[in-house]
Amino acid sequence: MLETDRNQLHKCVEEALPELDMMIGWTRCDPLQTTPVFIRDAKSISSLTLGPFCSQNLAGYLVKPPALDAPPKPDAKPIGICVKGCDSRSLVALIQEKFITRQRVRIFGIPCGGTVDWRKVARHVELGSVKSADVQDRVLVIEDSTTTHRIALEEVLSRKCLGCRHPNPVISDVLIGAEVSPRSTGMETSYRDVDELDAKPLEERLAFWQSELDRCIRCYACRNACPLCVCQDRCIVETREPRWLTQHVGVPEKFLFHFIHAMHLAGRCTGCGECERVCPMDIPVTLIKEKLNKIMEEMLGYSAGLDPEAVPPLLTFNPGETEI
Amino acid sequence: MTDSNPRSSAPAEDTAANRQGIKIVGFLCNWCSYGGADTAGVCRFKQPTDLRVVRIPCTGRMDPLFIAKSLIYGVDGVLVSGCHPRDCHYAVGNFYARRRMEAFKAFLPFMGIDTRRFKYTWVSASEGQQWQKVVTEFSEQIHMLGPNPGVELRSGEILKVSSGLK
Repeated sequence: MLETDRNQLHKCVEEALPELDMMIGWTRCDPLQTTPVFIRDAKSISSLTLGPFCSQNLAGYLVKPPALDAPPKPDAKPIGICVKGCDSRSLVALIQEKFITRQRVRIFGIPCGGTVDWRKVARHVELGSVKSADVQDRVLVIEDSTTTHRIALEEVLSRKCLGCRHPNPVISDVLIGAEVSPRSTGMETSYRDVDELDAKPLEERLAFWQSELDRCIRCYACRNACPLCVCQDRCIVETREPRWLTQHVGVPEKFLFHFIHAMHLAGRCTGCGECERVCPMDIPVTLIKEKLNKIMEEMLGYSAGLDPEAVPPLLTFNPGETEI
Repeated sequence: MTDSNPRSSAPAEDTAANRQGIKIVGFLCNWCSYGGADTAGVCRFKQPTDLRVVRIPCTGRMDPLFIAKSLIYGVDGVLVSGCHPRDCHYAVGNFYARRRMEAFKAFLPFMGIDTRRFKYTWVSASEGQQWQKVVTEFSEQIHMLGPNPGVELRSGEILKVSSGLK
């Protein structure tokens, strides 16, 4: 199944590569993880992979240096990119805000049954001893030096995948493999973690975030990984004038940073979960954005990254609305 | 505003509040609410003295970051006021602000900050009385809530709650 899809991907990329500037995809770097790969020559196409270990959202590479530094020439060839369902929404959001044009990208859409979070795997298996890993019939089969572990896929999926409503790419030129049915169809299941925290009293919520954000080391990995954090070196957390964030190490600074990050993504965040995936301190940072996504959905009926023609709700207004 | 300010008829009798050290930051748009507050002063309407006014060019200038920074660092209340919708000096600034602040208001309690400490309202330059009403009501509300603990600087003392997320 996965093998057929991979062959199909290789074939499609091989056909398209002469017309492309480059191809951005994933390649296996260890049994449980992939790494982004940038392909220009046909020899490397065979290293491309897809499947449940391809956790990175590659859309960010289209708008961050070095890609952003040089504006594309009018006759520039398009860039090929592999996207899962959630990644495709980031692409749509970038197209909406005119960071990229639709013609600039050749989209290889990959329906996704969820990605494996290696941190969750580490709860079951000693990561260093893993020899090979594969997913068969919604079970993760891991071989280590002595035994074979079988873990239900649900137990090791990334948190964002558990409430995924768009596993199939919302925008694509080529679709690789068969479409999959979404894990969740409504707000109740998609925002389960948000609702769970919201059900707690105010003081407990504050205590929760104080203890979670206390671990933050302000490495800004969440910001760097976010495909929609596009301020680059104009980012407000690093400006000295005005100096919104100081070098103090207190929790308030960390709170403020995450407030800013979240508010800048309000109505834009597509919930790809990159911020949480890259967090070295294991802070549920995506949860903050999920709450804002939920607010946007309830208040304005808007979900980010579904319609390339739509305008993100905080970048526009409606004079008639009096109840918000 | 201090008692020496001739435009303020605020009484010194509100000393319990002063002892409590309540601080409210008001972000007022230059064209309407700042004028409204001025009108209230000129008319010598009695107002509480806890509000510190920051003049902004338009509520469209209101970055939620201003509110977040204030509340996280222990300001007891934040009041934002601008021109009435459809009456903005720059035509549309307050429409943008309205969506932004509504979203922010709904977001605050999720992070553990009492949403009652933040209020936004519309007051025009001629509505001195309306301004008096807004300030009085909001100040009363903040006094009722008491000082804002903000976010603790050190985490040593705070309750550790496990995330419970899988």
